[in-house]
Amino acid sequence: MKEYFSDLWLDIQKNKGAVAGLLFVLLFMILAIIAPLISVYAPDQVIEGALRLPPGSRFQEHFFILGTDDIGRDLWSRLLYGARVSLLVGLSVVFISAGIGTTLGLLSGYYGGWLDRIVIRLMDFVMALPSVLFAIVIVAVLGPGLLNAILAVSIVALPNFTRLIRAQVLAEKNKPYVQAAHLYGASSLRILFKEILPNCIAPLIVQASLGFSDGVLNCAALGFLGLGAQAPTPEWGTMLSDARSYIETSPWMVNAPGICILVVVLSFNLFGDGLRDALDPRLKNRG
Amino acid sequence: MNLLSVKNLNKSYVTKKLMGKNEERKVLSNVQFELGENKILGIVGESGCGKSTLAKVLTRLEDFQSGEITLCGQNLREIPQKNLTHLVQMVFQDPYQSLNPRKMAWEIIADPIMVVEKTPRPQAKIQALAMMAKVGLLPELSERYPHQFSGGQRQRIGIARALMLKPKILILDEPVSALDVSIQAQVLNLLLDLQKEFGLSMIFISHDLSVVKHISDETLVLYFGEVVEHGPSENVFKNPQHAYTKTLLESAP
Amino acid sequence: MLLEIEKLSVQFKTESGNLLALRDVSFSLEAGEILGVVGESGSGKSVSNLALMGLLPDIAVINTKKVLFQNHPLDLNSQKQLSQLRGKSIAMIFQDPMTALNPSLTVGYQMLETLQTHLGLSKKAAKMKAISLLERVGILSAEQRLKVYPFELSGGMAQRVMIAMSISCNPKLLIADEPTTALDVTIQKQILDLLIDLQREKKMSMIFVSHDLALVKKYSQRIQVMYAGEIIETGPTDQVIKNPHHPYTFGLLKARPSAHAGKTKEHLYAIPGTVPSLRARPSGCQFHPRCNRSTEVCKKTNPSVSSLQPSPLQTSFSCHHPLESL
Repeated sequence: MKEYFSDLWLDIQKNKGAVAGLLFVLLFMILAIIAPLISVYAPDQVIEGALRLPPGSRFQEHFFILGTDDIGRDLWSRLLYGARVSLLVGLSVVFISAGIGTTLGLLSGYYGGWLDRIVIRLMDFVMALPSVLFAIVIVAVLGPGLLNAILAVSIVALPNFTRLIRAQVLAEKNKPYVQAAHLYGASSLRILFKEILPNCIAPLIVQASLGFSDGVLNCAALGFLGLGAQAPTPEWGTMLSDARSYIETSPWMVNAPGICILVVVLSFNLFGDGLRDALDPRLKNRG
Repeated sequence: MNLLSVKNLNKSYVTKKLMGKNEERKVLSNVQFELGENKILGIVGESGCGKSTLAKVLTRLEDFQSGEITLCGQNLREIPQKNLTHLVQMVFQDPYQSLNPRKMAWEIIADPIMVVEKTPRPQAKIQALAMMAKVGLLPELSERYPHQFSGGQRQRIGIARALMLKPKILILDEPVSALDVSIQAQVLNLLLDLQKEFGLSMIFISHDLSVVKHISDETLVLYFGEVVEHGPSENVFKNPQHAYTKTLLESAP
Repeated sequence: MLLEIEKLSVQFKTESGNLLALRDVSFSLEAGEILGVVGESGSGKSVSNLALMGLLPDIAVINTKKVLFQNHPLDLNSQKQLSQLRGKSIAMIFQDPMTALNPSLTVGYQMLETLQTHLGLSKKAAKMKAISLLERVGILSAEQRLKVYPFELSGGMAQRVMIAMSISCNPKLLIADEPTTALDVTIQKQILDLLIDLQREKKMSMIFVSHDLALVKKYSQRIQVMYAGEIIETGPTDQVIKNPHHPYTFGLLKARPSAHAGKTKEHLYAIPGTVPSLRARPSGCQFHPRCNRSTEVCKKTNPSVSSLQPSPLQTSFSCHHPLESL
């Protein structure tokens, strides 16, 4: 296994986009984790009178590296805490959707029959609706809020994982090594989790890194629509939405969270694609 | 007493159709044979003759419609799974797909006893290493993954895995057809040695007449799911009775 | 002389270094001759043919001293020159006919396209020609068969269609690379008999590549045994079979059981070890780690360069300690 991952790392290194993506992903994670250490103010701290100051401005004894927003909060600090929210959102979405999706995919692919038919129809249903639209419907039912938004976005992301794992299971389950396990009496659970699942891990990791960026983007979209995180949570999508009315007079308020979303989504996608390219020949090699 | 006896075995695959009647395709019809202790039965036939299906039926990977299969005096359908694992094991054709790519060689070999006999990992590893030595694999290779082995070595791993539970019967479905000629001979020799050492009976399935002739005591020729010829290998190859066997022999280079 | 190749080497450039797939291979082919090429996987038996067809991947580096086809020099690195020969003067049949045919086009469409582009026939003439070709390769009710898709054909049928297409331009050289490996024994014989028939009728030369020495023995006039990218023994088929000089040839002959002779349940002569990987070639003679006759010389120097002279009439081999004539 060790050798496998060191080989994988060599392959990823050849892809400059993937390395850049990985660096930004790491930077984003570190910033999110150490946010309290490097932020100047609390994310919801209002500095009286410091309204919509452009980046680099001074106000009394304060200095705002990225400026302030319409009620006088420091943008730099809000963005840092926003990174925490995004990290939390991305991870939760991936864990929920990958967890449920993988289980559904494993079961429906392995057992087939009516279970498979129901699962696949459900997934078709989810996929048939535009993802953001469907997420809006779910949030509308559950009520706005960050947790509900995460739940909605996870449901929307389910089919990606379910279908991926199901297809992988269908390909693996008739291979002789699985038949051999049947022959020495391994239980279905053992076959599913010890024989088949390890062979689904590679595509699963790729999908997880792509799912992370989808989750961040969709949650930001819900926040922008006022259905996700509620004020004063420093969520990038919500910040974007609050700043919308000032786009002509104070563009930095829009630019900062917008660029953050862009960079995070782009770097996760680049890394995910690089990972896929690096894993692909390996998948083919083992025939 | 015979180890295995198959009587009037019939099997067909049914394809369900949206409209009209279901389509039934017969793969095995009235197959009948017996296998004694310490014997190797060769089964020859071309693609689509049902030889792989027969292997799956005998290992209970697939069910059959009618007929009777008796294993050590017991009806195959009634043998508890745990006992069956000690009676019949199988070696597969494709040495690339028959080993889990994410497991180390010794784990693959030890898995059967870890599952069936609940042998703890350390002991299972010791037994697996001993088995590796028996099939001619260096114990140093035990922590390698399948892709680090050559085709012949992988097939040895598959054989070692099948022997871990000390089965009475080993079913080999085209075990050497994916291998190079020089490696083929090594594996065939190994199988002959193992048969003696473990007192095994084998069912050796192949499309290759020369290999079957070489390894088996008795030969059975399958043609579209029917047994067209069955007898001691010497006789079948020297003096074939059925027209199809004759054609097969003439076609062999 | 139809084809003369002198010192053909092929390397594959990969990220983990250059892999030598073919080392100084020289051979020649008379008009109307069948040359059998035998070797195990990784022996390079297909590489020279793919080089000749210009079908090697881009990472291949081809070096030759001299290549003559119909007494004209041929540059194996020039796709332009090769594409003029390919399909017309040199045709090739592959192992798996199903993947060589386009699954979404009818047999007729694919045949007519080839005939129209290569021979410049009108559609009607091409159709007539296609029907007669299919009949020639033993396909019944040929006109109806033109309308079917490849998946409706059996493996043997599909290979017949491939053969029909490959002989449509009356090639001078037909390369059959494991043409029957995917087929059943009975079909194998029919296809090979058909190929030999056509070869005589059209006076083609043929290179017949196979892993099965027994087949090559039966169907070729001259034989070339390959190991680890080198020709290790070559000569008239009956001589090589009767009197193998290289221990590897000897081993190959002995290792394969026969359906017609030999005892049952007896140990076969087995060559120990495995075919060397291109990544980890042994020093000296490529076969020495597996050879029971090897000595110090074999570990140090490769005999192939010095002793192998292509001469069609007698056996030549590359070995420091050849087996004596029986």
